[in-house]
Amino acid sequence: MKVDVEALDTFNQLAREGAEEATRSLAQMTGINGSVDVTKISLVDRGDIGEQLGDKAHVGVQFGFEGALAGDTALIFEEDQTAEIVEALMPGAAADESMAQSAIQEIGNIMMSGFIDGWAEYLGATINHTPPGYIEGSGEELLPKSDTVKGHDQVFVFRSDINWEGEPVKFFIYMLPEYEPMAELMAELGTEADNAIPIEKLAVFNQMTRDGTKKAAANVQQMSGIETEAEVSQISFTPLVDVPKQFGEDTYVGTAVEFTGAPSGFLIVLFDEQSAITVAEALMPVEMDSDELTDQHKMAIEELGNIMTSGFVDGWANVLQQSVEHTPPRLVHDMGRAIIDPLAAQLGQHQQHAFVIDSKMKTDEVEFESEIHALPNEKELREALEGLDVTRVEETEANTEEIF
Amino acid sequence: MKVYDGSQSEGAVGDDPERIKVGIAEYEVTAENAELTTSGLGSCVGLALYDARNGVAGLIHVMLPESDEMEDGKPAKFADAGTELLIEEMKKLGATVTGMTAKLAGGSDMLDFSESGSGIGDRNIEQVRETLQEYNIPVEGEDVGGDHGRSLRLESATGDLVVKSANKENQRL
Repeated sequence: MKVDVEALDTFNQLAREGAEEATRSLAQMTGINGSVDVTKISLVDRGDIGEQLGDKAHVGVQFGFEGALAGDTALIFEEDQTAEIVEALMPGAAADESMAQSAIQEIGNIMMSGFIDGWAEYLGATINHTPPGYIEGSGEELLPKSDTVKGHDQVFVFRSDINWEGEPVKFFIYMLPEYEPMAELMAELGTEADNAIPIEKLAVFNQMTRDGTKKAAANVQQMSGIETEAEVSQISFTPLVDVPKQFGEDTYVGTAVEFTGAPSGFLIVLFDEQSAITVAEALMPVEMDSDELTDQHKMAIEELGNIMTSGFVDGWANVLQQSVEHTPPRLVHDMGRAIIDPLAAQLGQHQQHAFVIDSKMKTDEVEFESEIHALPNEKELREALEGLDVTRVEETEANTEEIF
Repeated sequence: MKVYDGSQSEGAVGDDPERIKVGIAEYEVTAENAELTTSGLGSCVGLALYDARNGVAGLIHVMLPESDEMEDGKPAKFADAGTELLIEEMKKLGATVTGMTAKLAGGSDMLDFSESGSGIGDRNIEQVRETLQEYNIPVEGEDVGGDHGRSLRLESATGDLVVKSANKENQRL
Protein backbone atom coordinates (compact mmCIF):
# COMPACT_ATOMS: atom_id res chain seq x y z
CA MET A 1 0.00 0.00 0.00
CA LYS A 2 1.15 3.49 -0.75
CA VAL A 3 0.24 6.10 1.76
CA ASP A 4 -0.79 9.32 0.11
CA VAL A 5 -0.61 12.54 2.08
CA GLU A 6 -3.82 13.85 0.50
CA ALA A 7 -5.61 10.63 1.38
CA LEU A 8 -4.29 10.78 4.94
CA ASP A 9 -5.68 14.29 5.15
CA THR A 10 -9.09 13.11 4.00
CA PHE A 11 -9.04 10.30 6.55
CA ASN A 12 -8.10 12.78 9.21
CA GLN A 13 -11.01 15.06 8.35
CA LEU A 14 -13.32 12.07 8.41
CA ALA A 15 -12.10 11.03 11.81
CA ARG A 16 -12.57 14.57 13.09
CA GLU A 17 -16.08 14.91 11.66
CA GLY A 18 -16.97 11.50 13.02
CA ALA A 19 -15.70 12.42 16.46
CA GLU A 20 -17.58 15.72 16.36
CA GLU A 21 -20.75 13.89 15.37
CA ALA A 22 -20.22 11.47 18.26
CA THR A 23 -19.71 14.40 20.64
CA ARG A 24 -22.89 16.10 19.41
CA SER A 25 -24.83 12.88 19.94
CA LEU A 26 -23.61 12.72 23.49
CA ALA A 27 -24.48 16.38 24.11
CA GLN A 28 -28.01 15.75 22.86
CA MET A 29 -28.45 12.83 25.20
CA THR A 30 -26.86 14.22 28.31
CA GLY A 31 -26.68 18.00 27.92
CA ILE A 32 -22.91 17.85 28.38
CA ASN A 33 -21.08 19.85 25.73
CA GLY A 34 -17.69 18.67 24.60
CA SER A 35 -15.04 19.59 22.10
CA VAL A 36 -12.81 17.43 19.97
CA ASP A 37 -9.25 18.22 20.95
CA VAL A 38 -7.20 16.00 18.72
CA THR A 39 -7.67 13.57 15.92
CA LYS A 40 -4.74 11.74 14.55
CA ILE A 41 -3.84 8.77 12.46
CA SER A 42 -0.96 6.72 13.75
CA LEU A 43 0.92 3.88 12.25
CA VAL A 44 1.73 1.65 15.16
CA ASP A 45 3.15 -1.74 15.86
CA ARG A 46 0.36 -4.17 16.60
CA GLY A 47 1.94 -4.81 19.95
CA ASP A 48 1.87 -1.14 20.88
CA ILE A 49 -1.80 -0.45 20.20
CA GLY A 50 -3.47 1.32 23.07
CA GLU A 51 -0.26 1.87 24.94
CA GLN A 52 -1.34 5.31 26.07
CA LEU A 53 -4.30 3.85 27.93
CA GLY A 54 -1.84 2.77 30.58
CA ASP A 55 -2.99 0.55 33.42
CA LYS A 56 -6.15 2.45 34.33
CA ALA A 57 -9.54 0.77 34.31
CA HIS A 58 -11.54 1.60 31.23
CA VAL A 59 -15.02 0.84 29.97
CA GLY A 60 -16.64 1.27 26.62
CA VAL A 61 -18.16 -0.39 23.61
CA GLN A 62 -16.68 -2.21 20.69
CA PHE A 63 -18.06 -3.36 17.38
CA GLY A 64 -17.05 -4.54 13.96
CA PHE A 65 -17.92 -2.78 10.73
CA GLU A 66 -17.84 -3.72 7.09
CA GLY A 67 -18.57 -2.21 3.71
CA ALA A 68 -16.54 0.54 2.08
CA LEU A 69 -14.21 0.14 5.02
CA ALA A 70 -13.98 -2.85 7.33
CA GLY A 71 -12.45 -3.48 10.70
CA ASP A 72 -13.07 -2.96 14.38
CA THR A 73 -13.75 0.12 16.39
CA ALA A 74 -13.97 0.91 20.06
CA LEU A 75 -15.02 3.87 22.14
CA ILE A 76 -13.35 4.00 25.51
CA PHE A 77 -13.86 6.03 28.67
CA GLU A 78 -11.79 6.09 31.80
CA GLU A 79 -13.99 4.23 34.25
CA ASP A 80 -13.67 6.67 37.13
CA GLN A 81 -14.89 9.46 34.89
CA THR A 82 -18.07 7.85 33.70
CA ALA A 83 -20.34 8.53 36.69
CA GLU A 84 -21.08 12.04 35.44
CA ILE A 85 -22.29 11.02 31.99
CA VAL A 86 -24.11 7.95 33.25
CA GLU A 87 -25.99 10.15 35.76
CA ALA A 88 -26.74 12.72 33.08
CA LEU A 89 -28.34 10.03 30.94
CA MET A 90 -30.03 7.91 33.61
CA PRO A 91 -30.24 9.56 37.01
CA GLY A 92 -29.45 7.07 39.74
CA ALA A 93 -27.79 4.59 37.38
CA ALA A 94 -24.20 5.18 38.44
CA ALA A 95 -24.73 3.35 41.72
CA ASP A 96 -26.10 0.25 39.99
CA GLU A 97 -23.54 -1.73 38.06
CA SER A 98 -25.80 -3.23 35.45
CA MET A 99 -27.65 0.02 34.89
CA ALA A 100 -24.38 1.88 34.59
CA GLN A 101 -23.25 -0.70 32.08
CA SER A 102 -26.34 -0.33 29.94
CA ALA A 103 -26.05 3.45 30.10
CA ILE A 104 -22.46 3.24 28.84
CA GLN A 105 -23.58 0.84 26.15
CA GLU A 106 -26.37 3.18 25.08
CA ILE A 107 -24.07 6.20 25.02
CA GLY A 108 -21.40 4.26 23.17
CA ASN A 109 -23.85 2.95 20.63
CA ILE A 110 -25.26 6.34 19.75
CA MET A 111 -21.89 8.02 19.65
CA MET A 112 -20.31 5.37 17.50
CA SER A 113 -23.25 5.26 15.10
CA GLY A 114 -22.62 8.98 14.60
CA PHE A 115 -18.96 8.28 14.05
CA ILE A 116 -19.46 5.56 11.45
CA ASP A 117 -22.32 7.36 9.69
CA GLY A 118 -20.04 10.33 9.18
CA TRP A 119 -17.58 8.15 7.29
CA ALA A 120 -20.20 6.39 5.21
CA GLU A 121 -21.78 9.68 4.22
CA TYR A 122 -18.49 11.15 3.11
CA LEU A 123 -17.55 8.07 1.11
CA GLY A 124 -21.03 7.90 -0.40
CA ALA A 125 -21.08 4.25 0.51
CA THR A 126 -22.62 1.93 3.04
CA ILE A 127 -20.84 0.82 6.17
CA ASN A 128 -22.71 -1.69 8.29
CA HIS A 129 -21.85 -2.45 11.84
CA THR A 130 -22.49 -5.23 14.28
CA PRO A 131 -24.38 -4.52 17.52
CA PRO A 132 -22.11 -2.91 20.07
CA GLY A 133 -20.63 -5.05 22.81
CA TYR A 134 -19.81 -3.73 26.25
CA ILE A 135 -16.13 -3.96 27.16
CA GLU A 136 -14.25 -3.32 30.35
CA GLY A 137 -10.73 -3.90 31.50
CA SER A 138 -7.48 -2.18 32.11
CA GLY A 139 -5.56 -0.43 29.41
CA GLU A 140 -4.70 -1.92 26.09
CA GLU A 141 -6.01 -5.42 26.67
CA LEU A 142 -9.58 -4.30 26.08
CA LEU A 143 -8.93 -2.99 22.60
CA PRO A 144 -9.86 -5.01 19.52
CA LYS A 145 -7.15 -7.52 18.80
CA SER A 146 -6.88 -6.59 15.14
CA ASP A 147 -6.09 -10.12 13.97
CA THR A 148 -7.72 -9.12 10.72
CA VAL A 149 -4.45 -7.54 9.62
CA LYS A 150 -2.76 -10.81 8.88
CA GLY A 151 0.82 -10.48 7.84
CA HIS A 152 1.01 -6.78 8.53
CA ASP A 153 2.86 -5.74 11.60
CA GLN A 154 1.89 -2.12 11.35
CA VAL A 155 -1.67 -1.03 11.91
CA PHE A 156 -3.35 2.28 11.32
CA VAL A 157 -5.09 3.58 14.39
CA PHE A 158 -7.40 6.57 14.33
CA ARG A 159 -7.59 8.27 17.65
CA SER A 160 -9.69 11.16 18.88
CA ASP A 161 -9.51 12.82 22.25
CA ILE A 162 -12.60 14.66 23.40
CA ASN A 163 -12.87 16.86 26.44
CA TRP A 164 -15.84 18.36 28.15
CA GLU A 165 -15.95 21.88 29.44
CA GLY A 166 -15.62 21.74 33.18
CA GLU A 167 -16.08 17.96 33.29
CA PRO A 168 -13.21 15.57 33.82
CA VAL A 169 -14.42 13.25 31.10
CA LYS A 170 -12.27 12.21 28.23
CA PHE A 171 -12.72 9.50 25.71
CA PHE A 172 -10.80 7.85 22.97
CA ILE A 173 -12.11 6.42 19.75
CA TYR A 174 -9.94 3.76 18.21
CA MET A 175 -10.56 2.56 14.73
CA LEU A 176 -8.56 -0.32 13.39
CA PRO A 177 -9.31 -0.74 9.72
CA GLU A 178 -8.54 -3.93 7.88
CA TYR A 179 -5.54 -3.62 5.64
CA GLU A 180 -6.93 -4.35 2.18
CA PRO A 181 -10.06 -2.13 2.09
CA MET A 182 -8.00 0.61 3.70
CA ALA A 183 -5.32 0.30 1.02
CA GLU A 184 -7.93 0.43 -1.72
CA LEU A 185 -9.54 3.53 -0.27
CA MET A 186 -6.16 5.11 0.22
CA ALA A 187 -5.36 4.59 -3.46
CA GLU A 188 -8.77 5.92 -4.49
CA LEU A 189 -8.55 9.07 -2.41
CA GLY A 190 -4.93 9.83 -3.26
CA THR A 191 -4.41 12.47 -5.89
CA GLU A 192 -0.76 13.16 -6.51
CA ALA A 193 1.54 10.24 -7.03
CA ASP A 194 4.44 12.35 -5.70
CA ASN A 195 2.81 12.48 -2.31
CA ALA A 196 2.62 8.76 -1.84
CA ILE A 197 4.89 6.94 0.58
CA PRO A 198 5.07 3.16 0.39
CA ILE A 199 3.76 1.91 3.71
CA GLU A 200 6.73 -0.41 4.13
CA LYS A 201 8.94 2.65 4.28
CA LEU A 202 6.77 4.41 6.81
CA ALA A 203 7.07 1.26 8.86
CA VAL A 204 10.81 1.36 8.45
CA PHE A 205 10.71 4.90 9.70
CA ASN A 206 8.93 3.67 12.78
CA GLN A 207 11.74 1.19 13.24
CA MET A 208 14.29 3.92 12.76
CA THR A 209 12.63 5.96 15.44
CA ARG A 210 12.65 3.00 17.75
CA ASP A 211 16.37 2.58 17.15
CA GLY A 212 16.88 6.26 17.83
CA THR A 213 15.01 5.99 21.09
CA LYS A 214 17.00 2.91 22.10
CA LYS A 215 20.18 4.76 21.44
CA ALA A 216 18.97 7.72 23.48
CA ALA A 217 18.08 5.31 26.30
CA ALA A 218 21.50 3.68 26.02
CA ASN A 219 23.13 7.10 26.38
CA VAL A 220 21.14 7.80 29.52
CA GLN A 221 22.16 4.42 30.89
CA GLN A 222 25.80 4.98 30.09
CA MET A 223 25.75 8.31 31.83
CA SER A 224 23.83 7.24 34.90
CA GLY A 225 24.41 3.52 35.22
CA ILE A 226 20.66 3.08 35.56
CA GLU A 227 18.97 0.67 33.21
CA THR A 228 16.74 2.68 30.91
CA GLU A 229 14.13 1.25 28.61
CA ALA A 230 12.85 2.64 25.34
CA GLU A 231 9.09 2.39 25.12
CA VAL A 232 6.45 3.12 22.49
CA SER A 233 7.36 4.84 19.35
CA GLN A 234 4.90 5.81 16.73
CA ILE A 235 4.59 8.07 13.80
CA SER A 236 1.35 9.94 13.38
CA PHE A 237 -0.12 12.30 10.87
CA THR A 238 -2.19 15.27 11.88
CA PRO A 239 -3.15 18.77 10.75
CA LEU A 240 -0.38 21.09 11.85
CA VAL A 241 -2.67 23.19 14.02
CA ASP A 242 -3.52 20.05 16.03
CA VAL A 243 0.11 19.35 16.93
CA PRO A 244 0.35 21.67 19.97
CA LYS A 245 -3.05 20.42 21.19
CA GLN A 246 -1.59 16.96 21.70
CA PHE A 247 0.46 18.44 24.47
CA GLY A 248 -1.51 19.34 27.53
CA GLU A 249 -1.46 22.42 29.68
CA ASP A 250 0.90 20.86 32.22
CA THR A 251 4.33 22.32 32.72
CA TYR A 252 7.31 20.51 31.27
CA VAL A 253 11.05 20.88 31.44
CA GLY A 254 13.21 19.81 28.56
CA THR A 255 15.29 20.73 25.58
CA ALA A 256 14.62 21.54 21.94
CA VAL A 257 16.94 21.50 18.96
CA GLU A 258 16.63 22.15 15.28
CA PHE A 259 18.20 19.41 13.19
CA THR A 260 19.35 19.75 9.62
CA GLY A 261 19.92 17.12 7.00
CA ALA A 262 17.40 14.93 5.27
CA PRO A 263 14.93 15.51 6.76
CA SER A 264 15.31 18.72 8.74
CA GLY A 265 13.02 19.55 11.62
CA PHE A 266 12.81 19.87 15.37
CA LEU A 267 13.43 17.47 18.20
CA ILE A 268 12.13 17.95 21.71
CA VAL A 269 12.96 16.02 24.88
CA LEU A 270 10.41 16.61 27.65
CA PHE A 271 10.09 15.69 31.32
CA ASP A 272 7.16 16.54 33.52
CA GLU A 273 8.33 18.70 36.43
CA GLN A 274 8.41 15.87 38.96
CA SER A 275 10.29 13.56 36.60
CA ALA A 276 12.73 16.36 35.90
CA ILE A 277 13.53 16.71 39.60
CA THR A 278 13.75 12.96 40.16
CA VAL A 279 15.83 12.26 37.12
CA ALA A 280 18.20 15.15 37.72
CA GLU A 281 18.85 13.94 41.23
CA ALA A 282 19.04 10.25 40.48
CA LEU A 283 20.81 10.19 37.18
CA MET A 284 23.21 13.07 37.44
CA PRO A 285 26.32 12.80 39.54
CA VAL A 286 25.64 16.03 41.40
CA GLU A 287 24.24 16.96 44.79
CA MET A 288 21.13 19.11 44.59
CA ASP A 289 20.44 21.94 47.04
CA SER A 290 16.67 21.75 46.99
CA ASP A 291 13.72 19.45 46.33
CA GLU A 292 12.10 22.12 44.20
CA LEU A 293 13.06 22.52 40.59
CA THR A 294 16.18 24.71 40.64
CA ASP A 295 18.60 26.02 38.04
CA GLN A 296 20.87 23.17 39.04
CA HIS A 297 18.19 20.64 38.11
CA LYS A 298 17.62 22.48 34.88
CA MET A 299 21.30 22.32 33.99
CA ALA A 300 21.25 18.59 34.58
CA ILE A 301 18.18 18.30 32.34
CA GLU A 302 19.94 20.31 29.68
CA GLU A 303 22.85 17.89 29.75
CA LEU A 304 20.52 14.91 29.71
CA GLY A 305 18.49 16.41 26.87
CA ASN A 306 21.70 16.85 24.95
CA ILE A 307 22.84 13.24 25.20
CA MET A 308 19.34 11.93 24.48
CA THR A 309 19.10 14.15 21.41
CA SER A 310 22.51 13.03 20.16
CA GLY A 311 21.56 9.41 20.67
CA PHE A 312 18.27 9.80 18.85
CA VAL A 313 19.74 11.71 15.95
CA ASP A 314 22.61 9.21 15.63
CA GLY A 315 20.06 6.43 15.38
CA TRP A 316 18.48 8.19 12.41
CA ALA A 317 21.77 9.04 10.78
CA ASN A 318 22.83 5.38 10.96
CA VAL A 319 19.80 4.24 9.04
CA LEU A 320 19.92 7.08 6.54
CA GLN A 321 23.69 6.69 6.25
CA GLN A 322 24.17 10.39 6.17
CA SER A 323 24.98 12.93 8.79
CA VAL A 324 22.22 14.69 10.66
CA GLU A 325 23.42 17.84 12.43
CA HIS A 326 21.67 19.59 15.27
CA THR A 327 21.90 22.93 17.04
CA PRO A 328 22.94 23.04 20.71
CA PRO A 329 19.92 22.24 22.88
CA ARG A 330 17.84 25.09 24.24
CA LEU A 331 16.40 24.59 27.66
CA VAL A 332 12.65 25.10 28.01
CA HIS A 333 10.44 25.19 31.07
CA ASP A 334 6.89 26.08 30.21
CA MET A 335 3.40 24.81 29.44
CA GLY A 336 3.73 21.79 27.11
CA ARG A 337 1.47 23.29 24.51
CA ALA A 338 3.35 26.60 24.46
CA ILE A 339 6.67 24.77 23.98
CA ILE A 340 5.45 23.02 20.85
CA ASP A 341 3.58 26.02 19.48
CA PRO A 342 6.57 27.97 18.08
CA LEU A 343 8.04 24.79 16.57
CA ALA A 344 4.76 23.96 14.85
CA ALA A 345 4.54 27.55 13.64
CA GLN A 346 8.02 27.38 12.13
CA LEU A 347 7.08 24.21 10.24
CA GLY A 348 3.73 25.78 9.41
CA GLN A 349 5.42 28.28 7.14
CA HIS A 350 5.89 25.48 4.64
CA GLN A 351 3.29 22.81 5.37
CA GLN A 352 -0.26 22.31 6.57
CA HIS A 353 0.10 18.83 7.98
CA ALA A 354 2.73 17.24 10.11
CA PHE A 355 4.20 13.86 10.77
CA VAL A 356 4.86 13.67 14.48
CA ILE A 357 7.18 11.09 15.97
CA ASP A 358 6.57 10.20 19.59
CA SER A 359 8.72 8.01 21.82
CA LYS A 360 8.92 7.40 25.51
CA MET A 361 11.48 5.97 27.84
CA LYS A 362 11.47 4.98 31.46
CA THR A 363 13.46 3.14 34.07
CA ASP A 364 12.33 0.56 36.59
CA GLU A 365 14.69 1.80 39.25
CA VAL A 366 13.66 5.44 39.29
CA GLU A 367 10.16 6.82 38.85
CA PHE A 368 10.54 8.92 35.75
CA GLU A 369 9.23 9.18 32.28
CA SER A 370 10.59 11.12 29.39
CA GLU A 371 9.18 11.84 25.98
CA ILE A 372 11.00 12.47 22.75
CA HIS A 373 9.10 14.13 19.94
CA ALA A 374 10.36 14.85 16.48
CA LEU A 375 8.69 17.16 14.01
CA PRO A 376 10.31 16.60 10.63
CA ASN A 377 9.73 18.74 7.57
CA GLU A 378 7.00 16.81 5.77
CA LYS A 379 8.30 17.15 2.22
CA GLU A 380 11.86 16.29 3.21
CA LEU A 381 10.65 13.31 5.18
CA ARG A 382 8.86 12.00 2.12
CA GLU A 383 12.02 12.47 0.05
CA ALA A 384 14.18 10.81 2.67
CA LEU A 385 11.83 7.83 2.75
CA GLU A 386 11.82 7.64 -1.03
CA GLY A 387 15.59 7.32 -1.04
CA LEU A 388 15.59 4.83 1.79
CA ASP A 389 16.98 1.43 0.97
CA VAL A 390 14.93 -0.99 3.02
CA THR A 391 17.63 -3.68 3.02
CA ARG A 392 20.13 -1.23 4.44
CA VAL A 393 17.80 -0.60 7.34
CA GLU A 394 17.69 -4.28 8.05
CA GLU A 395 21.48 -4.39 8.13
CA THR A 396 21.58 -1.45 10.48
CA GLU A 397 19.00 -3.11 12.63
CA ALA A 398 21.27 -6.10 12.97
CA ASN A 399 24.08 -3.80 13.99
CA THR A 400 22.02 -2.00 16.57
CA GLU A 401 21.01 -5.33 18.03
CA GLU A 402 24.68 -6.11 18.51
CA ILE A 403 25.25 -2.81 20.23
CA PHE A 404 22.43 -3.25 22.71
CA MET B 1 -17.15 28.00 12.73
CA LYS B 2 -19.41 28.26 15.69
CA VAL B 3 -21.28 31.40 16.62
CA TYR B 4 -22.79 31.50 20.06
CA ASP B 5 -25.94 33.59 19.97
CA GLY B 6 -27.57 32.43 23.14
CA SER B 7 -29.51 29.51 21.73
CA GLN B 8 -26.68 27.17 22.63
CA SER B 9 -25.91 28.50 26.06
CA GLU B 10 -28.28 26.31 28.04
CA GLY B 11 -25.29 24.21 28.97
CA ALA B 12 -24.06 26.97 31.29
CA VAL B 13 -24.29 26.07 34.93
CA GLY B 14 -25.88 28.50 37.38
CA ASP B 15 -24.86 32.14 36.98
CA ASP B 16 -21.31 31.42 35.91
CA PRO B 17 -20.63 32.66 32.43
CA GLU B 18 -20.29 29.95 29.84
CA ARG B 19 -16.66 29.19 29.07
CA ILE B 20 -15.74 28.59 25.46
CA LYS B 21 -12.37 27.27 24.33
CA VAL B 22 -10.68 28.71 21.30
CA GLY B 23 -8.16 26.40 19.66
CA ILE B 24 -5.22 27.26 17.46
CA ALA B 25 -6.34 28.85 14.21
CA GLU B 26 -9.84 29.24 15.60
CA TYR B 27 -11.95 32.11 16.84
CA GLU B 28 -15.13 32.61 18.83
CA VAL B 29 -17.44 35.60 19.15
CA THR B 30 -20.08 36.19 21.80
CA ALA B 31 -22.81 38.67 22.62
CA GLU B 32 -23.77 36.66 25.72
CA ASN B 33 -20.98 37.51 28.14
CA ALA B 34 -19.34 34.13 27.70
CA GLU B 35 -15.72 33.73 28.78
CA LEU B 36 -13.51 32.97 25.83
CA THR B 37 -10.29 31.12 26.60
CA THR B 38 -7.26 29.96 24.70
CA SER B 39 -4.13 28.23 25.95
CA GLY B 40 -0.53 27.56 25.01
CA LEU B 41 0.38 30.67 23.06
CA GLY B 42 4.06 30.49 22.21
CA SER B 43 4.85 32.47 19.11
CA CYS B 44 1.11 32.50 18.35
CA VAL B 45 -0.85 35.64 19.14
CA GLY B 46 -4.21 35.92 20.85
CA LEU B 47 -6.22 38.96 19.78
CA ALA B 48 -9.21 40.04 21.87
CA LEU B 49 -11.64 42.54 20.39
CA TYR B 50 -14.35 44.16 22.48
CA ASP B 51 -17.20 46.47 21.60
CA ALA B 52 -18.44 47.75 24.96
CA ARG B 53 -21.30 49.76 23.46
CA ASN B 54 -22.87 46.78 21.76
CA GLY B 55 -21.71 44.11 24.22
CA VAL B 56 -19.88 41.98 21.68
CA ALA B 57 -16.52 40.31 22.24
CA GLY B 58 -14.29 38.04 20.17
CA LEU B 59 -11.06 36.12 20.57
CA ILE B 60 -8.83 34.62 17.89
CA HIS B 61 -5.65 32.50 18.16
CA VAL B 62 -3.45 33.11 15.09
CA MET B 63 -0.31 31.17 14.23
CA LEU B 64 1.39 32.81 11.25
CA PRO B 65 1.66 36.40 9.99
CA GLU B 66 0.44 36.47 6.41
CA SER B 67 -2.15 34.40 4.60
CA ASP B 68 -0.58 34.93 1.18
CA GLU B 69 2.59 33.16 2.31
CA MET B 70 0.88 29.88 1.57
CA GLU B 71 -2.31 28.47 0.15
CA ASP B 72 -4.56 27.57 2.99
CA GLY B 73 -8.30 27.70 3.37
CA LYS B 74 -8.09 28.60 7.04
CA PRO B 75 -8.06 32.40 7.48
CA ALA B 76 -8.15 32.15 11.28
CA LYS B 77 -4.62 30.74 11.17
CA PHE B 78 -3.16 34.05 9.97
CA ALA B 79 -2.67 37.40 11.65
CA ASP B 80 -3.88 39.46 8.69
CA ALA B 81 -6.85 37.41 7.43
CA GLY B 82 -7.76 36.30 10.97
CA THR B 83 -7.99 39.84 12.33
CA GLU B 84 -10.26 40.81 9.43
CA LEU B 85 -12.37 37.69 9.94
CA LEU B 86 -12.83 38.38 13.66
CA ILE B 87 -13.93 41.95 12.93
CA GLU B 88 -16.46 40.76 10.35
CA GLU B 89 -17.86 38.03 12.60
CA MET B 90 -18.32 40.52 15.45
CA LYS B 91 -20.13 42.89 13.11
CA LYS B 92 -22.59 40.08 12.40
CA LEU B 93 -23.46 40.07 16.11
CA GLY B 94 -24.10 43.81 16.09
CA ALA B 95 -20.64 45.22 16.84
CA THR B 96 -19.37 48.28 15.02
CA VAL B 97 -15.75 48.85 14.01
CA THR B 98 -15.76 52.31 15.58
CA GLY B 99 -16.82 50.82 18.90
CA MET B 100 -14.08 48.16 18.97
CA THR B 101 -10.96 48.18 21.10
CA ALA B 102 -8.19 45.59 20.98
CA LYS B 103 -5.96 43.76 23.43
CA LEU B 104 -3.29 41.32 22.40
CA ALA B 105 -0.96 38.83 24.01
CA GLY B 106 1.56 36.22 22.91
CA GLY B 107 4.13 36.46 20.15
CA SER B 108 6.93 35.10 22.32
CA ASP B 109 10.29 34.43 20.68
CA MET B 110 10.85 31.23 22.69
CA LEU B 111 12.41 28.40 20.67
CA ASP B 112 12.69 30.50 17.56
CA PHE B 113 15.44 28.92 15.51
CA SER B 114 15.25 31.31 12.57
CA GLU B 115 18.73 32.60 11.92
CA SER B 116 18.05 35.85 10.13
CA GLY B 117 15.38 38.52 10.32
CA SER B 118 12.73 38.72 12.98
CA GLY B 119 11.02 35.65 14.37
CA ILE B 120 7.46 34.49 13.80
CA GLY B 121 6.28 35.88 17.15
CA ASP B 122 7.42 39.42 16.31
CA ARG B 123 6.00 39.24 12.83
CA ASN B 124 2.67 37.98 14.15
CA ILE B 125 2.38 40.91 16.56
CA GLU B 126 3.43 43.39 13.87
CA GLN B 127 0.88 42.03 11.43
CA VAL B 128 -2.01 42.12 13.92
CA ARG B 129 -1.16 45.74 14.82
CA GLU B 130 -0.95 46.69 11.16
CA THR B 131 -4.32 45.18 10.30
CA LEU B 132 -5.94 46.80 13.34
CA GLN B 133 -4.53 50.12 12.22
CA GLU B 134 -6.17 49.74 8.83
CA TYR B 135 -9.51 49.64 10.67
CA ASN B 136 -8.46 52.38 13.14
CA ILE B 137 -9.06 50.03 16.06
CA PRO B 138 -7.02 51.20 19.08
CA VAL B 139 -4.86 48.74 21.05
CA GLU B 140 -5.71 49.27 24.72
CA GLY B 141 -3.46 46.68 26.28
CA GLU B 142 -0.84 44.14 25.39
CA ASP B 143 1.51 41.59 26.90
CA VAL B 144 3.72 40.43 24.06
CA GLY B 145 7.19 39.09 23.28
CA GLY B 146 9.51 37.62 25.89
CA ASP B 147 10.48 33.98 26.04
CA HIS B 148 7.55 32.34 27.79
CA GLY B 149 4.17 30.88 26.92
CA ARG B 150 0.78 32.38 27.78
CA SER B 151 -2.85 31.39 28.21
CA LEU B 152 -5.72 33.85 27.93
CA ARG B 153 -9.21 34.39 29.29
CA LEU B 154 -11.38 37.13 27.81
CA GLU B 155 -14.14 38.17 30.18
CA SER B 156 -16.75 39.39 27.77
CA ALA B 157 -18.83 41.17 30.40
CA THR B 158 -16.05 43.71 30.96
CA GLY B 159 -13.60 43.21 28.09
CA ASP B 160 -10.86 42.30 30.58
CA LEU B 161 -8.19 40.00 29.20
CA VAL B 162 -6.48 37.85 31.84
CA VAL B 163 -3.02 36.61 30.84
CA LYS B 164 -1.54 33.57 32.59
CA SER B 165 2.08 32.47 32.22
CA ALA B 166 3.75 29.33 33.55
CA ASN B 167 6.22 31.06 35.86
CA LYS B 168 4.66 34.47 36.33
CA GLU B 169 1.80 36.20 38.13
CA ASN B 170 -1.47 36.59 36.26
CA GLN B 171 -1.92 39.89 34.50
CA ARG B 172 -5.18 41.63 33.82
CA LEU B 173 -5.24 43.82 30.72
